[in-house]
Amino acid sequence: MVSKKNSKQKGAFAGDEQNIILDSIADGVFTVDKDWRISSFNRAAEEITGVSRKDAVGQLCKDVLKADICERNCCLRATMRTGKPIVNKNVYIIDAEGRKRPISISTALLRDKKGKLLGAVETFRDISVEEDLRKAIEKKYSFADIISKNHRILQLFDILPDIAASNSTVLIEGESGTGKELFARAIHDLSPRKKQLFVAVNCSALPDTLLESELFGYKAGAFTDARKDKPGRFRLAENGTLFLDEIGEIAPSMQVKLLRVLQEKTYEPLGATQSVEHNVRIIAATNKDLDVLVREGSFREDLYYRINVFKIILPPLRERMEDIPLLIDHFIERFNVLQKKSIQGVSEEAMSVLMSYSYPGNIRELANIIERAFILCKTDLIEKKHLPESLFAMSANHKDSEVSSLRDVEAAYLLNALKQNNWDRQKTARQLGIHKSTLYRKIKSLDIVIP
Amino acid sequence: MKVALSVFKDSISTVFDVAQQIMVLEVDETDEPKRTMLKLETNDPMRRASELSETGIDVLICGAISRSMQAAIMARGIVVYPFVRGMTEDVIVAYQNGRLGHASYALPGCRGREQGRGRGRNRGMHCRRR
Repeated sequence: MVSKKNSKQKGAFAGDEQNIILDSIADGVFTVDKDWRISSFNRAAEEITGVSRKDAVGQLCKDVLKADICERNCCLRATMRTGKPIVNKNVYIIDAEGRKRPISISTALLRDKKGKLLGAVETFRDISVEEDLRKAIEKKYSFADIISKNHRILQLFDILPDIAASNSTVLIEGESGTGKELFARAIHDLSPRKKQLFVAVNCSALPDTLLESELFGYKAGAFTDARKDKPGRFRLAENGTLFLDEIGEIAPSMQVKLLRVLQEKTYEPLGATQSVEHNVRIIAATNKDLDVLVREGSFREDLYYRINVFKIILPPLRERMEDIPLLIDHFIERFNVLQKKSIQGVSEEAMSVLMSYSYPGNIRELANIIERAFILCKTDLIEKKHLPESLFAMSANHKDSEVSSLRDVEAAYLLNALKQNNWDRQKTARQLGIHKSTLYRKIKSLDIVIP
Repeated sequence: MKVALSVFKDSISTVFDVAQQIMVLEVDETDEPKRTMLKLETNDPMRRASELSETGIDVLICGAISRSMQAAIMARGIVVYPFVRGMTEDVIVAYQNGRLGHASYALPGCRGREQGRGRGRNRGMHCRRR
């Protein structure tokens, strides 16, 4: 605090010095007066909240921070009331762009030299990295982590609660990397079973005999090394959800066993003499077309109908190209935090290449491409040279090899969508999730000729 | 038409994702809107969207809202006016007069966030500057 003896000029200098110090801190810092109005707001606070200092100062802190605790469990209010600081409380805020950011906050009282209460100070740290890593480790991604504005995905959002509320078996079909497990977890998290375990099994990763003991468990003495009972995944998922990934890969003998388990709601651990009843919800997933496998005779029809009570088909990334820029932003944000870089985005040329690639590996492949670019990129913009050569090969093989700019890609994409909808602009706009007038404007600006 | 305002005491609740109640206005061209208070049962985006949809809400006026919550609600065809602040009564009048886009009703730093419209219309998920 500036003493009265100091000249006005010296006081101002001290204020500037304070601001410089505050701005050099990586943590967000703001102070409030006794009316909860923000009196200072540092650079990191601007970055984390997305609100500029100019917009923040003088405003109520709750309107600027927009944290989940602001109205009912305000930490500053608690500190002002008790005089005790709060250290590292994890909360989340909604930033100016609608992103949910986990932060860790600490609060303390702000007094002048004479001990007179001036207000309070709050410091906060963006803990997105820790949270992201925690989610990755615990595999606790939820519906909120699904990034899309594709109309087919949004339609799925619409019906997901109803699917979750029922107890029916769900079949999720989609190519590798389309997010089948993420959707399965979202269904589990929305279901009344959410407090119980979500257990995932990759059926293709285990040979038949191992899969059986993995799913149903075994009794001591069932085979040579079985010294004690081992519960299977069905037991672990009791009252919860069992996610059977790559179900199209299981052998016919295992298909029969699984069918019986689903029909009779009982299973037999290896070596057991009695059946065990189960209350497990099954969500199965496959990257194959089970219809075709049934027709070919490699997948049992009765099992297919048993698991296909509700089918969700996840579109491949090439059919939801409008999500690519969103996903790129998301991955850049994630890798910036993880790798402590500050890449701002991708160049127009690079975006053009990324938009014209067909992504056989879907979202997982896009994430890998961005991660690879992060290794090579030494500037703040990912450029064409940072992308793998395979993308260019694919683009060159592509029929529309002349595509050279983002504008061309956008035009080609719109043209394709219009053709798919038989030139019906209303239907096309609906499919693309944009307003009809936006579509008209784009058609005009991209010089697309409607027959 | 039913318009929901997420409220806390006599103001718009700051964060819709954790708001506990909404004021539902049944707007009729002739009469004074009928008002009811409704408790929201869950914070989960899908369920919350479901609750609003089952109540027949056409428009939601709220404070800060996460992208996932907004997407879930818009997927139900509900028009969302996000990042609104102010006293509930003032906000109602502003909505009726078409003045909700005025800077004084926007949360700091969120001016220019247009409403996101429901399915089949402009989804308006981005923070677009006017």
